[in-house]
Amino acid sequence: MTGAHTDHTGMLRWYPPEWRNRYGDEFLTLLEDTYAGAPVPMSVRLSTARAGLAERLRGVGFIGDSGGPEGRLRGASLMVLCAWAFFVLAGAEFAKYAEHWDRVTPAGDRALPSAAYDTVQVAAFVGTLIVALGAACVLPTFARSIRWHGWAPFSRPLRALLITSTLAVATTAGIILWAHHLGPTRRDGSWLPFRIIGTTWVVMVIIAVATGTGAVIGITARLGLSRPVTRALAALALSMTLTLVVVFAGVVAWWASLAASAPWFFGSGAIGSGGSTAPPAMIVCGAVMLVGLALALCGAGRVLRNLGGSPSGHRGPVTTG
Amino acid sequence: MTTSGQPSGLRRANDPPLLILTSLAGGPKHGYALSKDIEEFAGTVLSPGALYGAIARLEERQLIEPLAETDRRRPYRITAAGSAALADAVREMGRVVDVGTARLGLVGRTFA
Repeated sequence: MTGAHTDHTGMLRWYPPEWRNRYGDEFLTLLEDTYAGAPVPMSVRLSTARAGLAERLRGVGFIGDSGGPEGRLRGASLMVLCAWAFFVLAGAEFAKYAEHWDRVTPAGDRALPSAAYDTVQVAAFVGTLIVALGAACVLPTFARSIRWHGWAPFSRPLRALLITSTLAVATTAGIILWAHHLGPTRRDGSWLPFRIIGTTWVVMVIIAVATGTGAVIGITARLGLSRPVTRALAALALSMTLTLVVVFAGVVAWWASLAASAPWFFGSGAIGSGGSTAPPAMIVCGAVMLVGLALALCGAGRVLRNLGGSPSGHRGPVTTG
Repeated sequence: MTTSGQPSGLRRANDPPLLILTSLAGGPKHGYALSKDIEEFAGTVLSPGALYGAIARLEERQLIEPLAETDRRRPYRITAAGSAALADAVREMGRVVDVGTARLGLVGRTFA
């Protein structure tokens, strides 16, 4: 890139590096020829952002038909991993919100919500296991790739992963330790400083999960995965989708059964009191899970459509032989 | 579908890939020349993002190919597969145009 591009180079940041390397220079020349020093209209900036993000999604196999059946399978599996990330966030909120639900529920009414709650916990464990299995499938190829190509192709996503996860773990530990030194009245959410720090921590965790997932996708998209590994990831993605359906069904069943037997849990908590059975926390949790579920079903559909494909020979930008 | 049985991805008359292939059927062009030509013959202004998104897809499907770059401008030309895909798409659209023209009783009339 030359200095003449200074005005427009920022618009290229929406595109993935591979695209920038291939088309970046001529794209900037087109902008210079078209606008000849005049400011680029906002509508063009927005359409460039949309096109760049679409290229990024295409690059990791989320949309389009690039990369052959194997590339699409890998992309679809990574889409299901994104869905899992949504469930991690919603699940954390659910776990926090639902704790001690049994204390205010009459013993005779606990069977159904208890079964639903246990189902969610078991499914969450199974989901974690599936993610660990996926990582185990990819790790040998990753290690080989590091040995042959060094850390350079992965340094950016790895750095992002390391920084955000370290910050998230450190602040989580810090906030837990701090909360234990506070009285129950201060940490129940009504003390402003705790609320501000708590909200900041939640935002940080969301950023960490999003960055971590993005980093894993960025790394996996650069690996030359073999056909058996890609197929294994696809099978795990299908299992994960089923698991997420079970988690969602479990949460809905828990919510509905508790709303029927102990509606006060969603209000003040005082047994016998009234109030809404649809608190904002549960609505947000359900909405985030629904987005994740939609993503998982899209990914699973794409996996199923591409499972029958013949090997394409395309192994991604970094090949490991 | 192209004559080779591969999906061409060309669906509508204002699809960027179809407009690009139509433009390149008249000779190789770089991004800016393509954009101006398309604006002239189709009245469609393709944004740089849409233009280069379509160029990337067409190149990936080997319907167009890049030529040597001159002064940071890379021209593209249509390939044999691209010509076949364009011919198929034009024939398909021609059938719709013929039926529409006949049913509207516009046969023999010219369009402004």
